Amino acid sequence: MNRRAVAVGAATLAMALGVTACGGDSGGGDSKTIKLVAADYGDKASNASKIYWKDVAKDFEKSNKGYKVDVQVINWNEIDKSVKNMIQAGNQPDLLQTGGYADKVADDLLYKADDVLSAKTRKNLIPSFAEAGEVDGTQYGIPWVSSSRVLFYNKKVYEKAGIKSPPKTWDELAEAAKKIKSSKAADTPYALPLGPEETQGETMMWELGNGGGYTDDGGKYTLDSKQNVETFEWLKKNLVKPGLTYSNPASTDRKTAFADFAAGKVGMLNGHPSLIQMAKDGKVDYGVTTIPGKDGPLKSTLGVADWMMAFKDGGADKEGVKKFLDFTYSKKMLKFDEMYNLMPVTQDTLEEMQGNGKHKDLEPLFKELPNAKFYPLGDPAWDVVSAEMKKTGGKAATEDPKKVLGDLQKKAEEAAKSK
Amino acid sequence: MSLKAPPSPAPGRGRAGGGPRRPTSRRSGLARLGPLPWIAPVILLILAVVVWPVIELIRTSFLNISIAGIVRGNAGSDKYKKLFEETDFASVLLWTVLWTVVVVSVTMLLSLALAQLFNQRFPGRRITRWALIAPWAASVLMTAIGFKWMLNQTAGVLNTVMLDLGIIDKSRDWLGSPGTAWPWMMAVAIFVSLPFTTYTLLAGLQTIPHDVYEAATIDGAGSWQTYTGITLPMLRPAFLVGVVINLINVFNSFPIIWAMTQGGPGYDTSTSMVFMYKLKETDIGESAAMSVVNFAMVVVLVLIFLKVSRWNEED
Amino acid sequence: MATATAAGTQVPKAGPPKAPKRTFRPRTLVIAVSAWALAAIFLAPYLEMIITALRPKEELRDRTYLPQNLDWANFVDVWKESDLGNNLQVTLMVAGGATLVVLLVSLPAAYYTARVRYRGRKFFLLLVLVTQMFQPTALLVGLYREFHQLDMLNSVWTLIICNSAFNLAFAVWILTAYISSIPKELEEAAMVDGTSRFGAMVKVTLPLALPGVVTAVIFTFITSWNEFVMGLTLTTEPDKQPLTVGINNFIGNYTVQWNYLFAASVVAIVPVIILFAVIEKHVVSGLTAGSVK
Repeated sequence: MNRRAVAVGAATLAMALGVTACGGDSGGGDSKTIKLVAADYGDKASNASKIYWKDVAKDFEKSNKGYKVDVQVINWNEIDKSVKNMIQAGNQPDLLQTGGYADKVADDLLYKADDVLSAKTRKNLIPSFAEAGEVDGTQYGIPWVSSSRVLFYNKKVYEKAGIKSPPKTWDELAEAAKKIKSSKAADTPYALPLGPEETQGETMMWELGNGGGYTDDGGKYTLDSKQNVETFEWLKKNLVKPGLTYSNPASTDRKTAFADFAAGKVGMLNGHPSLIQMAKDGKVDYGVTTIPGKDGPLKSTLGVADWMMAFKDGGADKEGVKKFLDFTYSKKMLKFDEMYNLMPVTQDTLEEMQGNGKHKDLEPLFKELPNAKFYPLGDPAWDVVSAEMKKTGGKAATEDPKKVLGDLQKKAEEAAKSK
Repeated sequence: MSLKAPPSPAPGRGRAGGGPRRPTSRRSGLARLGPLPWIAPVILLILAVVVWPVIELIRTSFLNISIAGIVRGNAGSDKYKKLFEETDFASVLLWTVLWTVVVVSVTMLLSLALAQLFNQRFPGRRITRWALIAPWAASVLMTAIGFKWMLNQTAGVLNTVMLDLGIIDKSRDWLGSPGTAWPWMMAVAIFVSLPFTTYTLLAGLQTIPHDVYEAATIDGAGSWQTYTGITLPMLRPAFLVGVVINLINVFNSFPIIWAMTQGGPGYDTSTSMVFMYKLKETDIGESAAMSVVNFAMVVVLVLIFLKVSRWNEED
Repeated sequence: MATATAAGTQVPKAGPPKAPKRTFRPRTLVIAVSAWALAAIFLAPYLEMIITALRPKEELRDRTYLPQNLDWANFVDVWKESDLGNNLQVTLMVAGGATLVVLLVSLPAAYYTARVRYRGRKFFLLLVLVTQMFQPTALLVGLYREFHQLDMLNSVWTLIICNSAFNLAFAVWILTAYISSIPKELEEAAMVDGTSRFGAMVKVTLPLALPGVVTAVIFTFITSWNEFVMGLTLTTEPDKQPLTVGINNFIGNYTVQWNYLFAASVVAIVPVIILFAVIEKHVVSGLTAGSVK
């Protein structure tokens, strides 16, 4: 305490004398200390990710004498900001587990996955995910957990509205929504959360249904392609205008939609594994099906993965980082996935989860996993593009889609240029 | 807090730390240092926590910083150019002005009425005054989150009340579109500004000498005449304090908008402060440029008020 | 709304109003009713927070004024399920620490500025005034970078220093105004008797300036207690964050736990409201002192 006080005094004095403190670059700690920063998947103290990581660290330290793992778990809302601040201040962690990695590749901050994973661990990754971790053919991002998206519907609402089978096409979906509205079976027939929380997710799920998406085969952004504009024109005309969804989709967050579904107030919506537990808690009898596309169910749905990455300048030695990753990926995967009902990224864990009979709920989602399509995660500009979409993308469903998507496309091209 | 500098001690008495008629030989070492030992800690704190970050910000606004936070060199005035070319920049500034003007003026008007009311004698005055304090004591963030919850479309109590009173026929998503979100956020901003302003004016009312009113009554002035002729002019100092403090608070206000709409959809409900915060997610340099512009606007605000209040004039 | 008559604007004496012996005049009744109605409006949002804090999870999305069952366990759970205890401790330390620092630093400065005409006095007052115009929101990035360089993130001391700095201006200003209004003859007499200036300040002026000091203390304490933006930026570890940030964390990724959120908010708000209620009359007298001159 006293030392702090002295430090403050000294710092203040230095300031007064016009001495500028130089940017600290030490990263803190010796080469045997592995600093891990991870996102918090829990929503209360009893299921905080901190508990998981502390346990991993303890077991790792026990079997690898001399190493110390310094764990810092940060709330999802704050983690990107905090990490950005850490990097900016030259205080990088050794390992980071969060939502995206490519922007850090652009700044040449990360080790290649080959450098920090043993061949065995690397081979164990599900190939489609490993590929999603590549930037220009080299893997940097190491997948951590995954999920696939499906359409959830409330069986009771369907029954009341007289809907026999879940929709396969957009028109069937609109038809079902109309029935729900006219029979007053639910407040919101279809929940369309295009608010900042997950604009980029809901948008992609719809655009995939019309043969659209975020990039062309060459990796160039096509945010305002004809298919994408059409998608939003359809949404606007068939769901938003007739009042079959929230009146302000652009400011409705996913958590609102999920909470409404779990309270039985939503007829159907696109969701991911977390919704299963929420629906159960809310005693909602739900069904799931493949997300409808314009002319038929999606052949490949949206797959989302969160990532692990290793920083070059974290301060710990590479061997230690490698040991820690191998340890975690071989022994501790299942525990995390089961803790949060998320889906695995390694083959042995996937087999285990499919085989042990404890995860029947996830079956339909497992099925979608191998064909899942991802965001253009390997593009260093993606983080900017995704952040811009979160800010303004939702307005495409209420205002002029061409203009909103056109503005985004311009921003994306700019970001791609300066990456 | 008065807008004028607190009155100087009369010249010639107490110069340079020495008391009047104080023998020079008895001046301690402390006194010889003059004002420094007395005011240096204040200045140090201000330098360390206010001035340093400002310099850091200005520096950052000329840097090219990648989204991951790495400095990639000098950006010159690029970030400012990018900022001024943002499609929403003009409308954000316009809304910032509108937000500040509407919230401050309505707050001042309501506070005048409230102060007058709570200055009367009536049963339970103490308790009602105490209730008035609640929004001041509670954190602005929590009050804003509270209103967001009360306006919730599915279960918000304000929607329920309006439904039951027949004001609306179906529950509405008030914060979802700018047309309704702005008025509600302004209402919340006014709600949290009222207590401080009302209390400032109440304090002002107490400084008006009683005999002034007696004289007015003898002259046969009516209530309204008394109010406009005596109360209002004499309230001027307290009123100005209220205006200045509110202008600063409302212009800088962040938690209300952040908690209620996050400035969205798009930037449709952003003031320049929220705009700055949102830019941080995509371009720190541009965000710093916005901070500098905000900073400049505050400085202008300060200068205008120094002038209006003739701060430099001695008594 | 209310217009003043000579009788109505009489300077009220501090302390609870004496119960009027006469029967109420209609005018008093109108005033009382409107004041009570307004008081209700001002308290309503906080009442709704308490109600929500008591709602069982299943009833959170019901359109009812009152829940069918009251779930008092929310208050217990919120302590168990979060870092609220730590957060409360941090907030107490920050608010208390900042108040102490502000007092120790601003009192001498205000005293000296009120009593002595020194070179740079104008500039000092201007600096203070300008500081008052800035709020931490605008300086966030700069603040973070600075305290990172000093390796002082996630530290209670950092929050104390920052909260002190942003509350200093108001304290210096109000204390300077207050002390200026105290006749200086008393302390001059003390100084002639050989007391140092500092001694005179502590022994003679301070007791007389007490109402102004109370105002400054309360303002600093409450502003620091409620501070959010700096806490959010300068701390990242849940158990080192102040209460406001901890409460904001209830807005999670998938859900908003409104009942817990408001249970925690009630815990945070109640002590401050009580504190404020206790010193209500000082607030007016302190503000009066500030704006007379």
